[in-house]
Amino acid sequence: MNSIFKIKSITVLVLALSIFSCNQKEEKIVVTADDFHSANDNVSKTMVHDIFSPPVASRVYAYSNIAAYEVMAQFDENYKSLAGQLNNLEEAPAPESDLIIPEAAAIVAFYDISTGLVFSEDRIGIKRDSLFNKWKNIDENAFKVSEAYGKRVATHIKDWMKQDNYAETRTMPKFSIHTDNESRWQPTPPSYMDGIEPHWMKIRPFVIDSANQFKPAPPPEFSMEEGSKFHNELMEVYNIREKIAANEENSEEMAIAKFWDCNPYVSILRGHLMFATKKITPGGHWMGIVKIACKKDNADFNKSVYAYSKTAIAIADGFISCWDEKYRSNLVRPETLINKYVDENWSSVLQTPPFPEYTSGHSVISGAAAIALTDIFGDGFAFEDDTEVDYGLPIRNFESFNAASREAANSRLYGGIHYRSAIEVGLVQGKGLGNFVVNKLEMAKKTQETKVASK
Amino acid sequence: MILISCQDEEEEKVQEKFFSNPDYETSGLDFTNTLKETRDQNILDYLYFYNGGGVSIGDINNDGLPDIYFTGNQVKNKLFLNKGNLQFEDITEKAGVAGNSTWNTGTTMADVNGDGLLDIYVSAVVGVNGFRGHNELFINNGDLSFTESSAEYGLDMDTYSSQAAFFDLENDGDLDVYILNHAVHTNESFGPASIRNNRVYESGDKLLLNENGKFIDISEEAGIYGGANSYGLGITTADFNNDGYTDIYIGNDFHEDDYYYINNGDGAFSENLKQFFGHTSRFSMGNDAADVNNDGFMDLITLDMLPEDENVLKSSAGDDNVNLDRFRIEKLGYHPQYTRNMLQMNKGGNYFSETALMSGVAATDWSWGPLFADYDQDGKQDLFISNGIPKRPNDLDYVKYTSNEQIQNKLDKTTLVDNDVLDKMPSGAVTNYIFKGEGDGNFDNRSAEWIKNDSIISTGVAYGDLDGDGDLDIVTNNINQRASIYINDYAEGDHLKIRLKSDSNNTFGIGSKAILYTSEGKQARQLYTTKAYQSSSEPILHFGFKNSAQLDSLIVIWPNSKTQTLLKPEKNKTLVLKEKDAKDSADYSRLFKSNNTKGFKKLESDFGITYEHEENRYNDFDMQKLIPHQMSDLGPSVKVADINNDGKEDIIFGASRFKPVEIFIQQNGNFKKQDFPEIARDSLAEDQSIAIADFNADGKQDLFFASGGGESVGRNEWLLDRLYLGNNSSFKKDSLLPKIYNNSAVIRTADYDNDGDQDILVGSNSQNYDYGAIPKSYLLQNNNGKFKIVQEDLFDELGMINDLIFTDIDGDKDLDILAVGEWMSPVILENSSGKYSVNKNLIKNKKLNGLWQKVTAADIDHDGDMDYLLGNWGLNTKLNASEENPMRMYYKDFDNNGLTETLLATEKNGNYYFPYGLDEMASQLSQMLRKRFTKYKDFAGKKIDEIMTKEELDSARLLEVHTLASGYLENTGSGFSFREFSRELQSAPIRAMLSYDFNNDGKNEVLIGGNYFGVTPYHGRFDALGGSLMLNENKILDSDQIQLNLSQKSVKDFSIIQIDNKSYLIITINNSKIEIYEFDF
Repeated sequence: MNSIFKIKSITVLVLALSIFSCNQKEEKIVVTADDFHSANDNVSKTMVHDIFSPPVASRVYAYSNIAAYEVMAQFDENYKSLAGQLNNLEEAPAPESDLIIPEAAAIVAFYDISTGLVFSEDRIGIKRDSLFNKWKNIDENAFKVSEAYGKRVATHIKDWMKQDNYAETRTMPKFSIHTDNESRWQPTPPSYMDGIEPHWMKIRPFVIDSANQFKPAPPPEFSMEEGSKFHNELMEVYNIREKIAANEENSEEMAIAKFWDCNPYVSILRGHLMFATKKITPGGHWMGIVKIACKKDNADFNKSVYAYSKTAIAIADGFISCWDEKYRSNLVRPETLINKYVDENWSSVLQTPPFPEYTSGHSVISGAAAIALTDIFGDGFAFEDDTEVDYGLPIRNFESFNAASREAANSRLYGGIHYRSAIEVGLVQGKGLGNFVVNKLEMAKKTQETKVASK
Repeated sequence: MILISCQDEEEEKVQEKFFSNPDYETSGLDFTNTLKETRDQNILDYLYFYNGGGVSIGDINNDGLPDIYFTGNQVKNKLFLNKGNLQFEDITEKAGVAGNSTWNTGTTMADVNGDGLLDIYVSAVVGVNGFRGHNELFINNGDLSFTESSAEYGLDMDTYSSQAAFFDLENDGDLDVYILNHAVHTNESFGPASIRNNRVYESGDKLLLNENGKFIDISEEAGIYGGANSYGLGITTADFNNDGYTDIYIGNDFHEDDYYYINNGDGAFSENLKQFFGHTSRFSMGNDAADVNNDGFMDLITLDMLPEDENVLKSSAGDDNVNLDRFRIEKLGYHPQYTRNMLQMNKGGNYFSETALMSGVAATDWSWGPLFADYDQDGKQDLFISNGIPKRPNDLDYVKYTSNEQIQNKLDKTTLVDNDVLDKMPSGAVTNYIFKGEGDGNFDNRSAEWIKNDSIISTGVAYGDLDGDGDLDIVTNNINQRASIYINDYAEGDHLKIRLKSDSNNTFGIGSKAILYTSEGKQARQLYTTKAYQSSSEPILHFGFKNSAQLDSLIVIWPNSKTQTLLKPEKNKTLVLKEKDAKDSADYSRLFKSNNTKGFKKLESDFGITYEHEENRYNDFDMQKLIPHQMSDLGPSVKVADINNDGKEDIIFGASRFKPVEIFIQQNGNFKKQDFPEIARDSLAEDQSIAIADFNADGKQDLFFASGGGESVGRNEWLLDRLYLGNNSSFKKDSLLPKIYNNSAVIRTADYDNDGDQDILVGSNSQNYDYGAIPKSYLLQNNNGKFKIVQEDLFDELGMINDLIFTDIDGDKDLDILAVGEWMSPVILENSSGKYSVNKNLIKNKKLNGLWQKVTAADIDHDGDMDYLLGNWGLNTKLNASEENPMRMYYKDFDNNGLTETLLATEKNGNYYFPYGLDEMASQLSQMLRKRFTKYKDFAGKKIDEIMTKEELDSARLLEVHTLASGYLENTGSGFSFREFSRELQSAPIRAMLSYDFNNDGKNEVLIGGNYFGVTPYHGRFDALGGSLMLNENKILDSDQIQLNLSQKSVKDFSIIQIDNKSYLIITINNSKIEIYEFDF
């Protein structure tokens, strides 16, 4: 009944508007998948500048892409809205004009969310405004109705987003580091930053029912006794570093560690001189892989939106799940123990990020992302990963998403910032979560699966 | 017309600076420390690339005219001969002192070989970045030429030297040397403080003993640290404890503690910074010692890099966050260090009381060399500070936003030189500072009036009487600009200049002391020449004094303790004094120590009172990041009373959270801890205050505990105050007490309604997690042992109460109330027939809001009526408040997340600013602030209404403070007027006061203590109050006059307890064992 009414009113509007706009424009606004890739890229770059931590960045990717998806799903019957599928998400407002260019509206919604979430609005705005102005010049009217609808959906998403406890977690207590328990995490050199996002497990997840749904097995029992599992894993980290050093830092392990560093803020102190190198987050790297897969697959706009959204959701829930464990086990980083017990001058290949060790965030979210991407593009999907080229790193080739996720996990061990258990258990945690997400979400309608695949 | 005349005036002003700066064309002083970034030499590869060169002033040819030597980092050193009339000739070439090292640093002139001629010792950094060479010793041949002889003397160090100081460590008549080295170590981990025990050749400091012209390394056996962490940039030698032996203070950059070496007199030193100093500068650079307050003891200044300018301040990396600060102190073993200059006032050699904030010298930007001297010759030491840096490498926009793009792809190439990269760093070329000393430790910034305000970068700095007119001139070594000379044109007072001649090998008498007695008071000097930063000054003793001063006598004490006394020395002369004329032997204790041994004496024995307060680890700032101080660390509480009615005083201690109350019962002159399970069960409460009385009139003492602390929130049962009723030999908790969930701070009991039983008044200081809200205090009326809350309306709104007393203020024979607290004025509640009402007329000061901590009644002016002493926050703080420009606190849930925030704001140059950096402020108000300010420079320099909107501020509740000074309400008969205490009582919050007749003269004195550590690194630590005894409003005995040293102790309370008919003082201290003192005056 509702939908009939909707269709009727749209028809009336369409008639009225089409008469009005007759003969005015020859050129049409054309929106391509590249425009959407570019939008995600723009968000990534802005977040690198603004120094967003990995969990916070994952939230930005998820909400921005979901907003685009919810617009797109109103127009393309091959895709099913996420309303009712994501925790507390309700139906998006229906479109009221057939002048709406769905893709443009989707990008408007995407930018409306992401611009609100990043800090440097002026930075993200440069590309966005140039795109919107181009469209406006081509067909102002069509752009305006698309923009209005995109913003309506964005408002709907924002209302939902506001309930996710993010604002509340901003002012929750800092993580207290005052303890004599040496198994417990301590701030690490050189900046000795506070543990970041100690309340991320309180953020409402997207698909999983609670942060601890994929609670991993606890880490090996802390022990500095030789021969204990924990001590063996600690020494493995130390020995790998020694091996890398022996190879004059040119080893494959070194290359892998650096490639997957994905640390948004590596601070470097040289006396009073301080500077930072900044990279995309682990989530940002996988957003880059989504783009690579879409391009190789010649995915159209809608499929691209679908791919980003599903992967971003898996990653975002992965961070919530991982952070739940991090601040449960509160495990000390290898660097702290090695400096104290083995070699006070030891430093890891990668800078130790400022939060507890277990489980490895990159492992969890890479596992989850790989499952999501495999679900979309299939297993054995080989690709050339050039995501990090902008950050001075080479291209690496992978035979599948899962292979990439395994390497991402290993990079943390090679980088000296995680023990083996954290990456192995982390990968299991991420894959379990990823499978749950892809099984639970109904996005691309099954009957249309082949049809939507490619154009 | 008007414009032109204005300009003329302006120009005239410029010409009338105290110091004039003759240019190099006139003076011939053509020296520039030119720095050029090269592949190997740049700020990325050598952390001290911008540290500059030094300057030495001394008369190398004994013609009476001091000559000048400059070191260049990359350029050759230069020696200028003073030809008189401020004409200098470059004689470097023929003197042979250009130097051969790649990178020169400090310079010092000293007569190393004891031939009566000043030699020059130049330090060098060798062994990194291709720096070659070694430290060089240029021995003066006496014919304006020098011979480099470092190897011969064993002084050709090839390490990372920054400066050397020559002094006679054993007083055996020759000069030994301390070689200051700096680490270049790039390990990014702090490592534990104990790293300093592992000697590292290149960076470790060295102490060398002069044995017949050969210098022997005795560092290890002399107890000198030489670790990888010793970033030594500052050295001062002085006899700090006036025992006749030269002590050493070393300033270390970064996280390494400074070192305070006390000369044991046997060739070895005891490093004991932690005991003598409460805290130090963090990025310690140059330092200098002088007797700033003319008490005979050398005070010390150490420089750091705190900017004064709001724009620079808020765009530069600032203080550590509180967790990291505590981690470094508690876990790694470092001493508290904060980013600001520190003025350490020497308290009789017993400890140093740090007062730079109160003194006005804490913030002089990127500072290198401090130089004390009486430039204006008024009898009070002034202070010159050289500063500036070519590039500010800690600019936050650079660190976080610019550096990434600039450096990203070049990082792997460690030999990065890229001017584009460097150009993005803002310049730190700022004007030098000069302060006029006020003789009491305060300094008045005269930079605008006394020196030309330019944008040169000055590093090394030294003084000397260049033009022979008797007053002191200044020379600075500048980076990329010609060296500056500051000629003293306007010193108004008179002077006395003294040169010393010794027949020993210490020909210039380094380490000698002089005391000048004048009609204006006494002044003390010590002769050490290595001063400030990488520099040495003319080896003279210079005294200034007002024209009106009559000179009484001059005593000179040589290093070997021989002394000579000159009666009525003539003014404005240069005296040349010879050691061989010194016949007497110095009596140091007579000259420098007060012979008063009366006062307090700390007892070893504790009479069985074994109480040690242990503060539980809790960081209030984890929760409320912007509040001014913690609320969870205000204990312990204490009460002395006869609990068991046996006629002997017992003692109760209230504990921190998770610890039980401890009760000690007196038996036969000793105490026994007695357990009361009913009380111990409630150990989760933090006991803020204790009262003892027989509330239910059953003949047994009952106990009342105020529960508080900053941790429990809402209707948490550990916020409930507790009454335990005496029950034979145990106690039983009273369940009928009204349930009030407040954060209690203080309890007082009195029979205010004259019905024969004890009523209870409870003051509350805050609402937890909601600082700024007015907590509820309450009055419990005792009706036959049943308590009823009365006058709720009045006490609910009393304020953030820290302390209160029952007292008859108006002399009408009933008990009124005086309540004090934070963000409020002291409040008088007048009792009329058992009902209280606020009396606003008795206190004459209408604007007297303070951060009041404590109130004590005492007739301090002994005029027969009661005055009230008020402990406040003190003036030794970055905060400031006045009636005209109150300190503000805005209280509101600014970000609408259900929790309130507080924003402090203080006035600076007519505008209000927040004391927070962007990161700190955004840690509480993330979404608002990060969106508004995406660059630090946009945030920096912004007034409060440019950071928050007017609506946000206007809709917040505004709390104010009008004064931070402690003082007393003087009873004038018709009311009360507030009088500030003198300066020495303003150096920290006063949190403990006790009125008692310590000296048995029939009149009460007031013992005053305090200090407090529960603040963020922005504030530092309030640890400078050593404890004082106030005899009357004008006479205060400082800690060293009463044998007390409570500095570094967060004193909570003083109590008197009678043990075997003798009175003892018990001091309770936060997070520490109690201390017991006997006293005799």
